[in-house]
Order: sequence, then structure tokens, then C-alpha cells
Amino acid sequence: MSGTLRFVADDLQIMALTFMGIVYILRIRWLLRFKPGRERQAPTGSPDTSSFKGIIYSWGNIAMPWAMESTRQKLFFYAQFVLFHLAVAASITMSFIIPYAPGLIKPMVLVRGLQGLFAAGCLIGCYRLYRRLTNPYIRQISTPDDIFSLLLLIAWLFVSLGAAPNRPDQGEGPLLIYFIMTAFFLVYVPFSKISHYLYYPFTRYYFGKSMGYRGVYPIKRGPQPTPHKV
Amino acid sequence: MLEKARSHKVKKVIERMGKKLNRQVVGSLVACVHCGMCTESCHYVLANPDDPTFAPAYKADQIRKIFKRHFDWTGRIFPWWVKAQDLYVDEELEKLKDIVFGKCTNCRRCSINCPMGVDFATLNRMARGLLVSVGVMPEGVAVVSKDQWEIGNQMGVLKEDYLETLEWLSDELENEMGDSAARIPIDKMDANVVYAINPREVKYDPRTISDAAKVFYLAGENWTIASEGWDMTNFGLFSGDDELGGTVVRRLFEKVVELRGRKLVLSECGHGYRATRCEGPNWAGMDAPFEIESSVLTMLRYIKEGRIKVDRNKNDLPVTFHDSCNNARSCGFFEEPRELLNLVVTDFREMYPNRAENYCCSGGGGAMSMSEYTPLRLKAAKVKADQLQATEAKTVVTTCHNCVDALTDLIRHYKLGMKVTQLVNLVSNAVVVEEKVVAPVEVLILRGYKILVVDDEPDILTFLSAVFEDQGATVVQASDGEQALDLARQEKPDLITLDLSMPGKNGAYVFEELRKKPELAATRVCIITGKPELRRLIYDRPVRPPEGYLDKPINEESLLVNVRKVLEVAHEERKLN
Repeated sequence: MSGTLRFVADDLQIMALTFMGIVYILRIRWLLRFKPGRERQAPTGSPDTSSFKGIIYSWGNIAMPWAMESTRQKLFFYAQFVLFHLAVAASITMSFIIPYAPGLIKPMVLVRGLQGLFAAGCLIGCYRLYRRLTNPYIRQISTPDDIFSLLLLIAWLFVSLGAAPNRPDQGEGPLLIYFIMTAFFLVYVPFSKISHYLYYPFTRYYFGKSMGYRGVYPIKRGPQPTPHKV
Repeated sequence: MLEKARSHKVKKVIERMGKKLNRQVVGSLVACVHCGMCTESCHYVLANPDDPTFAPAYKADQIRKIFKRHFDWTGRIFPWWVKAQDLYVDEELEKLKDIVFGKCTNCRRCSINCPMGVDFATLNRMARGLLVSVGVMPEGVAVVSKDQWEIGNQMGVLKEDYLETLEWLSDELENEMGDSAARIPIDKMDANVVYAINPREVKYDPRTISDAAKVFYLAGENWTIASEGWDMTNFGLFSGDDELGGTVVRRLFEKVVELRGRKLVLSECGHGYRATRCEGPNWAGMDAPFEIESSVLTMLRYIKEGRIKVDRNKNDLPVTFHDSCNNARSCGFFEEPRELLNLVVTDFREMYPNRAENYCCSGGGGAMSMSEYTPLRLKAAKVKADQLQATEAKTVVTTCHNCVDALTDLIRHYKLGMKVTQLVNLVSNAVVVEEKVVAPVEVLILRGYKILVVDDEPDILTFLSAVFEDQGATVVQASDGEQALDLARQEKPDLITLDLSMPGKNGAYVFEELRKKPELAATRVCIITGKPELRRLIYDRPVRPPEGYLDKPINEESLLVNVRKVLEVAHEERKLN
């Protein structure tokens, strides 16, 4: 491994991570500066629910496609969401494994599995980009940041495909590009919509707390209509 | 470079936005990923599939872009990158007004469908509040808010009219029950229940008050209703004005404390329940020092405890239930109404989706008071109309006065031929009165007459129809001039009550047409108008004047006296001929 690759895979990543960490800390501090709204009311709804249950349900919402009509009726879209996010998570994990525990992804079956995941993520990203540009509803709300973030992730997952075998002996190009992109990704993320995962626990915590206290969460659905009444 | 000038109102909006931000709101402002998952949860989108500006995320972005430009770092440094946008002129506020008031009913259906937990409805309400604070709002919102601030209730019901209504309702109840104790107790100290109502009940639907009074009387409840501070509705919820919201709630709470009431029972009103029971204490900054419950729960308990007996066979038509968004989606109040409904009707059909996933009646968020957005509202109501139709029910029951009006309006618009009622009406109808109470023989003074009621205001139509139907008349409704002329030809009514100020063919035109058509010329017409200045429009016409003329607001007693007189004269004339 060359000194350049060692630098981009290790030092550069640490610098980028540190930068991201500092920005995130500032961001969370900024968010916490706003006082949370207070609920004075007595609880409503079913006595079986509570703020606590609401929070847990709300956090777990992401893993319960049946919980929301929007995911229940679009299971294919939900599956894409899961695959895409798994691919991103896998690539982030890989950026730590390659420099610090390369042995973990030595088996070829694992490499192929990762490559399959990155390829799927990349294709889904392309589809999402197509959807963002062609669906009038999504196009209308899209910002340059939305589009650039998606492009960045597509390119990064594509580059991850080449980096997964971790064979610097066969040429350092793919790994160099992968780590440089990862560093850029880490620096850019706190300023982009990609940092939504930072807010997810907050928004879902407060929404779940309120909805649980008011007996709305967990959502209770009524019976489906009989076919002749549809 | 010179800085672009900002209007005073815009300056205030931006300044006040900073003060309104709390952690929940900021979370919802920064967390949207523009995934579009909320899009199809909105009834406006479903009814306007070709217009992306109805998407919840788009609407929220119109608020978000101001936040980003002024309070969020990326938007402050690179506004174009995240579509942050500054505001400068009042016209931009007017545009925002049309979005937050005209294209959203704050029903919260998108909020529960957002994977990120973005509470769009809270953002929308905040934007409404900001605009209201600088006087940018639909006229209806201004009028209703003013009435609630100044008169103490959102329909501007004067104290003497309110007390007079309670008085004659008491007389009727006493008469019906044959018991002088069967009256509506006003300002009674130390009552178990202080009953708070919606001013719409006083003005347009007094039957709901008498039905509730009947239930309280038969349950042997120690109850009262306040002479002041009785309005449980709260326009602050719709207008986003927390100050109004807090004032209204404080007024209500202080009255209960003054009367030393043990429990505040709220009549069936979705937003009133949410505002008083849930949001009110937050706005008022005070805890309620007594229990608050919906009358639905009270009636359910009476039945369960055996304090009243009901016979559900008395309500044997197929009914469905519409969940008020404020009750179901914001307060988790959806099982109790169903439990009660199943006790008082024989054929309950669930509509789908329901409970917290139900669609808005289309009149939420104060939409019924914003007449400039009526066409948009009725178009968006198609989703609800389809839902209702699919149940094949004859009656839709709801626990909200606002929903009653909106559903009545959409049922008429989409010609669904359904009736709208509330649980208190069904309970009152199903209640079994002990034999010792001998009700006097009812005299239905309008039995056998057919009356065509013409008015573009749904509330007035409902009120007039209820008054006439209670007296045995067959009522046909028309909400515009064209429909009135068609129905007059088809139905040949004995009497037409005609509003003058209506969109399209106005009342004066309809009146002249009626008089000119030989087959309709003999039809009796009673003008009912809120604009006395239009009187000349009628009397200056070269046709026979109308048989009756009444000014709004209408009093039930004088309405019946006039209508009865007109019909009696007609009857006498027919006999003579």
C-alpha cells in the first residue's frame, strides 16, 4: 500500500470524520437551543398507550412498512428505500474495515455480496434520480442539494463496487477514488439533506411522544371494507 | 449595493417566526428529505392530480424556505442551493395566505404518513398565526376571530339571544317530558357537569342542545350551562393565533371554576375538543383544575351505568361514521364514538380508511368560514364523497359540528342523498322514556306541506330544514338560483324560502322568474335575507310581491309564525277559489 493510499484511507478519513463530528455537535447544539414545546393536557385516547410507547413506535416506524399508509401502499418503494440505505450503511462500514480490519471482508462471497448490494444501491439511486427529475411532484420540491446529494451517493456506491475487493496490489486507483470520495462525502454531509439521519431521532421522538400521549400511536386501523362495498 | 426594501408586515412575519420556533417545529423544518411519501395522503392532491403545488411537502416548503433563509446556516450562506427564499413585499404574504389557508385544512393526515415525522400541520398552523399577526388572512377568519375576541363566541351570538334560546328550549323540554323540573339549568353552582357548547348549536342547530338536555335530564344529572363563557370552540386553533386560543380557553376554565363545577363536558365538536382538552392548556399556560371530557363519553357512561336506557331499533337506517380529524388524528378519540354508536343504531357500516387514517371532511381548519376557497374545498371533497358513497349508508354520523356542515355541503354538491347527524341526536332518539312521563300530543304545524329552502349558506340550509322538518314539513334544499328554479318546477312546493344574495342567479332574479312562469306564479315565497338593503330589489320589480319577508339572523319562533301564516292564508285562498 502506497503512502498516498495510507494517507487517504486513514489520516484523511480521520480529519474528515473529525470535521463532520464537530459540525454535527454544533448542529445539535443549535437544535437544542430551541426549547421543546410543553404538553399540559391530561392524556387522551386509549389508556393502553403512553408517551413512551409512542416514542418507541415512532422510532420503530422505519422498520414497520405496515404502520403508515404511505409505505403500506408502496411496498416496492419501501424495499428500494431499505436496499439503498443498507448499501450506504455497508459502504460507510467498509470505509472503516478496509484500513483497520481488512481481514473481515476477505472471503470472496462477502466481497461479491457487498458488490451486489452496492450495484443494487447504485441502480436504485439512478431510479430515484430519474423519479426526482420526472415526477412533477418531486421535481417541484427538489433543490440542487437534493439532486447533488443523490448524484454523490450514486457515484460513491459505484466507486464502492470497485473498492470492495480491496486489492491495492492490482492497482490503487479504485481505493484512492473511494477514500477521497468518502472524505468529501463526510465533509459535505453535515451541510446537506443527507444529514437527515441526525434529525430523525429528534423529529420522531417528539412526534411519537405527543401522539403516544394522545393515544394516536400506535396507529389503530379499522377493518378493511368488504369487496362489494369498495 | 442597496439592500432591497422589506415591507413592514414582512419584517414582522420574519421577526415573529424566530419567536415561534420551538424544537418540534425546527425539527420539522430541517428534517424533510423531499421524498414525496406524503403526497398521496393529502385529499387536495388526490382531487387535483395535475397540480404539484398541492403536495404537502411543497406547501410546507413555502414556509421552510423563509426559515432556511433567515434561521438555517446553509440557507443563509447558499440560499439557491437549498431553495431558501427571502420575502420582501406584501403580495408574497398574500400568496402564502392562499396556500396555508386555501390549500390545507390542517388535517394532519400527511404528518402521520411522513417517514421522517415531519408535522406539516403544525408548520401550517404556525404560518397561519404569523400571517394573522400582521392582518393577512381570509375575510372569514378575521370576522370569526373578531367575534370570538369581542363577543365571546365565534358566531357573535348575543347573550340575550343565547339565553332566550335556552329559555324556549327549556319550555319545549318541559313540555315534552311533562315535568316542570325538565329545564336547562343556567349558572347553577356546584354542578357535577358544566356543559359547554358550540355557538352553531344556538344559532343553527338548537336541537342538539335540547337533545343533550333531554339526555342529562333522563340520566338525573346535576348539570348546568353557563350564561357566559359557554363557547367551547376556539378559532385560535384554525387561525394559528395562540393568544386568542389561550384567551378563549381561559374564559371557559375560569367560568367552570367560578361555578365550582366538577367536570367540564364538551358537546360534540372536533376542534373544540382538541382546542379545549388538548392544546388549550398549552396556549393558556394553565392546567385545567377539573376533568374535561367529551359528551360522547358522558352519554356512553350513562348507558353503561344504566342511568339511561336506549332502544337501538329506533335508529334502524344504515349509518356510517366519519372521524373528525381533530378528534381521531390529534386526540386519539375514535373508539368511544363507535362503542356508543353500536349501542344506539342497528346497522353501522365502517367507512375505509377510518380512525386516525380517515380523510378530512374537507371543511377542517376553518375552511367553512373562508368562502373564497369554497370551489377548491368542494373539489377536494370528492375523496370524502367517494368514501361515503362506498358505504351505501343513508346517514353519516360525526362528532363534530364543523364536519356536519362540510359533509352536508359535499353531500349536496355530489348529490349523495345522505343525511348528516350527530351522536347526541341518535342517543336522544333512541332513549327510552319511562312511562310515567307522558309526553303531550305533538302538534306538527307544517305537516303535509312541502317547502323548498334556497340558500347558499350550508348552516342556514341545515337550520331552516331542521326547523321545518321538526314541524312535519317535507323539505327540499337548493343552494343556488339555478337549482332552485329546477326544483321549483319538479317539486311544486307549497312555499319557497328564498335567500337574495347568492352566487350565480341571485334571489331577486329567481323571484322574478318564479313570478313570470305561469305554472310557478302561484307558489308562495318568503324572502329570508341578511341584507335588508336588497329589499328594494324585490319590491321594485313589476311582479306580485313576496308573501313573506324575514331578515337574518332568523329566530325560530318568528320564522314559524311567518311561514305558518303564509301557508294558512294560501290554504284559505284555495278554499275560497
